[in-house]
Amino acid sequence: MPSTTLANSPVFSWLMGYEVKRKKLLAKAPAGPLHDFLSVPLPALDTPIDKVEILAVDFETTGLDAKRDKLLSVGFITLKQQQISLKTSYHQIIKSNAQLEESNVIIHHITDSQKEQGQALSTVVEALLKALAGKVMLVHFARIEKQFLTEACYYLYGMAPVFPMIDTLVLAKRRLDKRDVAYDPSELRLTNLRHKFHLPEHHAHNALNDAIATAELFLAQMSKTNKDGKTTLKEVLL
Amino acid sequence: MDTELSEISTFIHNIPPFDSLPKQVLAHLVRELSINYVRKGDDFPPKGINEPRLYILRKGAISCLSADGELVSRLGEGDLCDAFIHSDTNALSDKQSTISNQLKVHTDEDCLIYSVEATVLHDIGARFPSISDYFSQNSAQRLKTKMSQVNEEAILSSTLMNTEVSNFYQSPAASINAKQTIQQAAMQMNDEGYSCLVVVDNDNPVGIVTDKDIRRRCVATGLATSEAISEIMTSDMCTIDVKSNAYDALMMMTAKHVHHLPVTKQGNLVGMVTVTDLINNEGHNAINLSGIIHKANTLTELKEISHLLPKLQIRLAKLGSSADHVGKSISAITMAFTKRLIEMAEYKYGQAPVPYAWLAAGSQARQEQLAHSDQDNAIIICDSMKPYDDAWFESLATFVCDGLAECGFIYCPGDIMATNPKWRQPQKMWHNYFNAWVETPSPKALLNSCVFFDLETIYGDVSLLNKVRKNLLIKTKNSTLFIAHLSKNALNLRPPLGFFRDFVLKQSGKHRATLDLKHNGIAPVVDLARIYALSEGISAVNTIERIQQAAGTPSITKESAENLIDAYEFLGMLRVEHQAKKLMRGESADNYLSPKEISKLEREHLKDAFKVIKGLQDARQSSY
Repeated sequence: MPSTTLANSPVFSWLMGYEVKRKKLLAKAPAGPLHDFLSVPLPALDTPIDKVEILAVDFETTGLDAKRDKLLSVGFITLKQQQISLKTSYHQIIKSNAQLEESNVIIHHITDSQKEQGQALSTVVEALLKALAGKVMLVHFARIEKQFLTEACYYLYGMAPVFPMIDTLVLAKRRLDKRDVAYDPSELRLTNLRHKFHLPEHHAHNALNDAIATAELFLAQMSKTNKDGKTTLKEVLL
Repeated sequence: MDTELSEISTFIHNIPPFDSLPKQVLAHLVRELSINYVRKGDDFPPKGINEPRLYILRKGAISCLSADGELVSRLGEGDLCDAFIHSDTNALSDKQSTISNQLKVHTDEDCLIYSVEATVLHDIGARFPSISDYFSQNSAQRLKTKMSQVNEEAILSSTLMNTEVSNFYQSPAASINAKQTIQQAAMQMNDEGYSCLVVVDNDNPVGIVTDKDIRRRCVATGLATSEAISEIMTSDMCTIDVKSNAYDALMMMTAKHVHHLPVTKQGNLVGMVTVTDLINNEGHNAINLSGIIHKANTLTELKEISHLLPKLQIRLAKLGSSADHVGKSISAITMAFTKRLIEMAEYKYGQAPVPYAWLAAGSQARQEQLAHSDQDNAIIICDSMKPYDDAWFESLATFVCDGLAECGFIYCPGDIMATNPKWRQPQKMWHNYFNAWVETPSPKALLNSCVFFDLETIYGDVSLLNKVRKNLLIKTKNSTLFIAHLSKNALNLRPPLGFFRDFVLKQSGKHRATLDLKHNGIAPVVDLARIYALSEGISAVNTIERIQQAAGTPSITKESAENLIDAYEFLGMLRVEHQAKKLMRGESADNYLSPKEISKLEREHLKDAFKVIKGLQDARQSSY
């Protein structure tokens, strides 16, 4: 059962019974990628986390507002039996009409001309949903991926899916909060957390690199908190 | 290729043998990688992996231990662990499968590990032999491949391509005025020892004349030798600029069928380069230097010349000469210094009262000396000497040893010098010394005397030492106790296991910042070669010659002998390169190599060399 601090949070109530919600949505979903995605059962909450199939995902966007900003690129990779397989990696730039702001280009290095060679949003979201079916999504700082994917599904299919998530930032935050010592929020950045776990430097702000970096961080986090292998999905879910 | 995996690609691309893969193949390999996180103390390979794989450490550290718990290697970032690359049933060779079955891996730190299935590697290896060779060959085979590459490169780049004519030419060019006679030209050639003169008119070079021209165009045609030299000179001579590379000079000579080329600098004649200068230039250098030493009349002159020695070593190294060649050249020059000093002493103190020979011991005797090593020498005197004769030999020893010290060959710290009365003895005493060492050996006595088992005559009566050596070899060949003691000493010096991060990893598991190339690499091979020679009655003292002659005897198989020579040459090469770098920076040439100085691949080759040496040391140990 959820811990008391989480039980009251709106995030948790959204998550509560994601299998029930999945089945409900499946009944309403139009035939197509979303329907296919929703038709695959999700792992039970008491599954040991080592046995759960996970998809580490990262989005690069033009900004933080899912209603106004655009999705620029998607990267993801599978984490299965505590192993990240580069064969399963995916990276795609999305073709859109939005003009790129210079300040943003500096961060993600995606230029207008690259974007022109990208693929349609529908193609990329379809690929993501296909890979994500039956898996739990792993991200660092869940808001972006959650809101942008939800928004994209509304736009493409007229309804939002349900997808359980693990957030490495939240996992780290929970540990820090438990210690009851003040900390600098910048400690929670992906790069800084990786550093803390002695993981190698990575080239940030590329969707696939960040997805891999997040997956590695998650493995390192689990190596500390899941020494007996008994940690369940429920304990790490957002 | 996916640019987003470029980071991992770059990491893999920096690791030999993957550095040899083309981009697309590397990209394919990268996509086949898996990433695991292994906690300190956890199982390795990670749980759930059953198929054979190659592991690549991205972060962290692991130790490989043999079945009996002995440390075999320690791996850090960027190191490959190929202990689990062969499946038990489908091993590439029986030997390797047994090794991998025995190896245990301990996770020393939390590790981030990349791995690739052996089948993928196998497929890539089918198209790229550099990959399959790397994983299927053993240390000795890899080292052999490396050394044959080194030798090929030495021939190809053969330095001529990379070296300017300015390094080779003799200056100034011998010249003669166009108005002088053919006979005068011939006389000048005789006097100056040149076979070719540049003909000048008012300081302008107008032609060239060789001794061949005198034969063909004068003597053979009956032309009077009183005719002007300009009559028989070649006037349309080719010249080469001092900045051109030596290879071009050689090509020009070959094309025009000439052996001499005048060298110009901004159009002005500055010297001459000959075909022999180019082809045999390294040897000629040592020979030239020996010639100058021979002509020196005072100690001050010798001292001046000795400053050229480090320069010669740098140049030999730059020209890609093998360590063997460098050692022989430097030893030849030390020999020339010693000889010249002895001649000076004989001039000063008069002729020797009885026949004798000046002996070099250790590296000089083995012809493996490098610039400014210490002096090891001795004197063997004819048994007819009278007690009062020693005064002369003492004067000789003092003069020569002091002279050598002046020339940069520091006094032997162990006092193995002819100035020490113990090492300045008649032939019969030398017989006694060797008899005692061989018949009643003690490890300590042998430790101090093993330098005398590498002995060569530098000057004087060669037969004195030869007789002693002949007797000695008959004795050592049959004395198992002596060989056992000698082996025991020799096996004290062990090469390290390899490297861990930027450190040298010792057998004990301890780390060192530098590798002592001399004591932990070269000396163990020299010691092994000496044991082989003394066990088999081989009179050679040079390490490579000893190993070559011992090859195929009960002491060492032909194959092992070749492997040991490869290891020795590789270590020698690193040492010569290391010392050249130090000398060029104006530092003293030492034997301490920092792992940071060498590439990842060189570290791998060093590890292979260590393995070859250690294997033969173990074989030696088990035979006693």
